[in-house]
Amino acid sequence: MERNLIITLMLLIAGTHQVKAQSDDFGMWYELGVEKKLTNKLNVGVEAEFRTRNNSRTADRLAFGVNVDYKLLKFLKASGGYTFLYDNFQEELDMKSDGLTPNKWTPSYWAPRHRFNVSLTGSVNWKRLGISLRERWQYTYRPEATGKKYDIDNDEWDPKKGKGKNVLRSRLQLTYDIPHWKFDPFANVEMFTAKGGTQKMRYQIGIDYKLKKKHNFSLTYRYQDVRSNDDDNEANRHLIGIGYTYKFK
Amino acid sequence: MKKLFYICMSLLALTACTNDDQYELSDFVGTETINVTYNGNYASVGILPDYVTATVVGADVVINSYTSKNLVIYVSGTTTDGSLLFYGKNDWGLVLQNANICNLDGPAINNQCHKALFITCPEGTVNTLSDGTSYAEASFDQKGAIFSEGELYLQGKGTLNVTGNTKNALASDDYITIYNGITLNLTANGSNGMKANDGVFINGGMLNITVNSDGGRGIRSESVMDIIGGIITINTSGDCKIETIDGVRDTTSCAGIKCDSLFTMSGGTLNITSTGDGGKGIYCLQDIRLTGGTMNITTKGSNDDGKPKAVKSATGIILSGGSFTAQCKKSWACDNGTDSENPADRVTIIGTPTTKEIEKRYVSVIFPSVVY
Repeated sequence: MERNLIITLMLLIAGTHQVKAQSDDFGMWYELGVEKKLTNKLNVGVEAEFRTRNNSRTADRLAFGVNVDYKLLKFLKASGGYTFLYDNFQEELDMKSDGLTPNKWTPSYWAPRHRFNVSLTGSVNWKRLGISLRERWQYTYRPEATGKKYDIDNDEWDPKKGKGKNVLRSRLQLTYDIPHWKFDPFANVEMFTAKGGTQKMRYQIGIDYKLKKKHNFSLTYRYQDVRSNDDDNEANRHLIGIGYTYKFK
Repeated sequence: MKKLFYICMSLLALTACTNDDQYELSDFVGTETINVTYNGNYASVGILPDYVTATVVGADVVINSYTSKNLVIYVSGTTTDGSLLFYGKNDWGLVLQNANICNLDGPAINNQCHKALFITCPEGTVNTLSDGTSYAEASFDQKGAIFSEGELYLQGKGTLNVTGNTKNALASDDYITIYNGITLNLTANGSNGMKANDGVFINGGMLNITVNSDGGRGIRSESVMDIIGGIITINTSGDCKIETIDGVRDTTSCAGIKCDSLFTMSGGTLNITSTGDGGKGIYCLQDIRLTGGTMNITTKGSNDDGKPKAVKSATGIILSGGSFTAQCKKSWACDNGTDSENPADRVTIIGTPTTKEIEKRYVSVIFPSVVY
């Protein structure tokens, strides 16, 4: 059973890779985390992440984060965290008002960002089915980066100005605990709302695999549907995520 | 199976080391070239760079450029009814390689880009451009056989012959600059030899202008004019152009040079001969200042409808260097706006010339040569 599942997911990855080369982009997310339960209500964790884009041919992001969550009530959890993002910002080409003449060109470049978030998650279980709703406020600050934007007319490199952005992320998730099976499937949909309305949607399905209660593996498929330009120049993208988390007792 | 899984994931991660940029800096800086070749009633356009489009109908070529690069168009071949119309955002260059272009219903070259046009005639080339005897209606300006909305620079060591049959031979809504080396032969059958809204600057070259049209000017500057070098020969044979506008009779006389602002000359040679009725050599609305070079102005025309003058300025003719000769067969050689009957009052001389001969119809003032 397990062997079949892994084969199926591998085929899914390979298939998505090929299909997406024709239209939307495809990327991989690799996630690594460590968690520690300090008390019955308090958990802390650190995580690292590596993302790819351009049909997984281009590195997109390196990220390192810390987070803490606290169980306020049986069904309500609060959490917060900080993530250091080191992004490979995508190339941009601004055109003049005629829409045809190149004006400013920003080649892709690596630069840091700082992200803070706080969340509230409400969850209920009905038999083996779990439903949760997470509301997360996220603030991301991009410091100014000098000499990144080429002013074509004036033949000079301008700075990419610093910028902060607030986003509300709303995620509705379903989980199901299949009896006598180590794989726990889940599905969720997440909406990103910022100034100007909905920026993107993410639809995700996946499975968690727990080994000896300390090791947690996850394999996910996400589809990111970009609704408006969020200044990150993200494309609609199919994403395969592979994660591992170690839980200290 | 787990090993296979890890290997596959590792390989996928390792592939993520390529750049996904679509452009390079060289896509935005540097020079792009286009070849346009005329062949009778047809024209062909070579490979187009990014952000440049071309439309060809017969031998009429329209280029639209949005590139941020410097664009240079190489033109060659012959057509008896063709043209090059250019739209763009940046300065551009036109290299004429023995091009012979006649456009029967408009300009041969029309630069609708409001930035500079650099026309180059390479050494050994002879290029001939002309317009027709009438222009077709158009939504854009057509002011001469070569017309530029932006600045117009003429350079190279070749020859450029331009004939304006309906309007100017050469016209710019900005300014015109002529560099040393070029031989420029202009024939004005319809209007002026050369006309610029914002100034004419002659740094050198061999400039021969023949004006056959009534009321035409060899060089017409609606702003300043400055000559620092070159050999300029202007011959006008047209008479006065007489029009009746709103019942008022208006007479426009021919002139070798008509300048609406300051005229200065510090080098080169300027020879003007005007033979038509009322023709003037130089007519300037502000000062005419000669600090160097050689100026020979002769008007031989009658004074039936117009008043011929060799050198006329509304504010002053100021001579402080070079060689100045003006003669007029039928009237005053020099007119600086004064009513004085004393010829000496009609020029201002600064310094000590070696020759000073001032009469009503002949003025010669020659300063000693300056050896640097």
